[in-house]
Amino acid sequence: MKNAFRQLWQKIRNLPSAVKEFFKESGRETYASMCFMGVGQMINGQYIKGLLYMLAEGGLIAYFALRGISDIIGFFTLGTVKADAWLGIEGDNSVIMLLMGIFAWFALGVLVYLYIHNIKDAKKYADMKIFKEHLPSFRDDLSALINSKFYKLALFLPLVGVLIFNVLPIVFMILIAFTNYGGTIVPPELVDWSLDSFGKLVTGSELSQSFIRILGWNLLWAFASTMFNYFVGLGLAILFNKKCVKGKAIWRAFPVLAYAIPGFITLLAFKFMFSNGGPINNMIVDNGGKIIDFFGINSKWMARGIGLFVNAWLSIPSIMLLATGILSNINNDLYEAARIDGASGWVQFKSITLPFVLFSTTPVLINQFIGNFNNFGVFFFLRSDVLSDGYFLASDTDLLINWLYRMSIEKNYYSIGAAISLIIFLITSALSLIVYVRSASYKKEDTFR
Amino acid sequence: MRKLRVRPRQVADVFLTYALLLIVSIIFLFPCLWLVLSCFSATGSIYSFNGFFPTSYSLASFISLFTDSYYTYLNWFANTLIIAVISSLLGTLLVIITAFTISSFEFSGRKALMKGALALGMFPSFMGMTAVYLLMTQFNFINSRIGLALIYACGAPMGYLVQKGFFDTIPKTIYDAARIDGASNLRIFCSVTLPLSKPILVYTLLTQFAWPWSDYILPKLLLKDRELWTVAIGLMSMPETEFARYAAGAVFIAVPIVILYFCLTKYMVNGLAAGAVKE
Repeated sequence: MKNAFRQLWQKIRNLPSAVKEFFKESGRETYASMCFMGVGQMINGQYIKGLLYMLAEGGLIAYFALRGISDIIGFFTLGTVKADAWLGIEGDNSVIMLLMGIFAWFALGVLVYLYIHNIKDAKKYADMKIFKEHLPSFRDDLSALINSKFYKLALFLPLVGVLIFNVLPIVFMILIAFTNYGGTIVPPELVDWSLDSFGKLVTGSELSQSFIRILGWNLLWAFASTMFNYFVGLGLAILFNKKCVKGKAIWRAFPVLAYAIPGFITLLAFKFMFSNGGPINNMIVDNGGKIIDFFGINSKWMARGIGLFVNAWLSIPSIMLLATGILSNINNDLYEAARIDGASGWVQFKSITLPFVLFSTTPVLINQFIGNFNNFGVFFFLRSDVLSDGYFLASDTDLLINWLYRMSIEKNYYSIGAAISLIIFLITSALSLIVYVRSASYKKEDTFR
Repeated sequence: MRKLRVRPRQVADVFLTYALLLIVSIIFLFPCLWLVLSCFSATGSIYSFNGFFPTSYSLASFISLFTDSYYTYLNWFANTLIIAVISSLLGTLLVIITAFTISSFEFSGRKALMKGALALGMFPSFMGMTAVYLLMTQFNFINSRIGLALIYACGAPMGYLVQKGFFDTIPKTIYDAARIDGASNLRIFCSVTLPLSKPILVYTLLTQFAWPWSDYILPKLLLKDRELWTVAIGLMSMPETEFARYAAGAVFIAVPIVILYFCLTKYMVNGLAAGAVKE
């Protein structure tokens, strides 16, 4: 980490002299390309490439002249004209403007990238011209794309897909967190940049109280459920692995069955099972008891406990499968030696099994923790129709992610929702970074490569 | 002849082990069994059950499942099938290409790309979804099955690590040999890599195919018309009085998925571990 920063600093410090060097060694081709993309390539005699660069620059300039520049301005203002149906004013749509603004920034990035590339390219082939009779033709470039630069061709489509459907939405949402979009302020109202959402989350309003409460429960939940699932899963793996167990595959099939059924099916089934008219309450009533409202408004800890159990039922099998694979990798000689030294089963577990499994599963533990921290399904299915007192649009079992869903999708509090997701991101990424960097499996990663 | 001595401690240990195994198995089996038996309930409503299990059995809920005009299960099934086919074909293509390229080429920006994917994965999956929802509403792309399939497919390369792990195990010397013989990269991919990677292809196709059947968040967001619902959304809309029919619908899609998982357990474990050993 430190090294990377030092390298970066070195690069920045050397930048002025590197640029100077670059200009000193450049010929007219480079300068020509600086004036207009592609001219240098033309002088080099690479006409088709030059033409493509020219077309690209022409197209991008046309785009910026026609709408790109106003889009970038719109990105900052987010609209100045409010729609008015009486006066027939169409008005600005802030959300579209934000989106188009992001797109314009992106186009600007492409332009800068192409421009730098074009200058470097012009210089490279101008230098090469001195030594070589023939520069690579356009056909050669194309065949290089299939051969030495195959990765560019191959990764193009997946990258575009990920950019549009993963990166763009995330960038959009990060920016939304810094606006006042949501509540009553949705188009045709004008949206503005503001830090209000973060302010509301930290200053003493009902919102910030709910936030702190939910965050506390969320951390407790993530910690408790991860630990519970992890150790029970590990215990199951050890149980199934015991020498005296016959027909391991058959015993193992039951947890795998639970693992294989789609989560929403079992979650809904559990909801039916614990519902007021469900079989458990049926049996209680038949035995002369009173109906227990498992997910009612007053059953805070009962609902939480059931959530923990249901989540364990769903996720223990995967941990068990994983631990089984890891256990089979432990060298049996270790146990042999321990037995000769007279170590009991517990000591063997404590000093051989546990360290080995912990070592190999630290990243899995982190993934599990993050997964549980953002565990949407459990309480969405079990208890999404309850709103508790003292919470702003949340129940006392809701995790941040459930709150986020309710705020941004059911109630249109977009900017607050986005701010919450940013905070979730900060927490989860910081936690995993710390654990990851400190964990032994990261430090020794190179030894396994 | 020496008698085999059985120590009481060992007997107790074996007894305890099997008792535990039995309890664990019952805990995991019971809800599944309950669901399967429920779908053969004659009356259908959860209120008519005697404790956990139906009082009388019949195939009525399966018949109504396929014929009812309000809960149009067959329609949901067809929708999900369309989405699953498109997203599994396109998604598999994208993942395989990504994983193959990242596994077998050294190029500048490769590390950065992998780290970027890791960082992107840290954002709550929901964050993007709210934005996707907003964008889709702005562009009137709501209620489109193709749009949903496209989102699934384009998200697939983010989970390239499993496939990359597989490609990493193919020895590089094979590629070098092919290259010396003058094969282009495309040729190498088609006639060396692909034949070697049938298992991972099957795995990817099947997992991609299975996902739309169990996802409920995106379809709930994007498919508002009853006509376009997927199975998951449809089943979620059923009330307690239709419990048997819910169970029938759930079992009907769960059985193929469960069979699939049992065939793929080996790869599933590798997939779970993939995040563990690779960066």
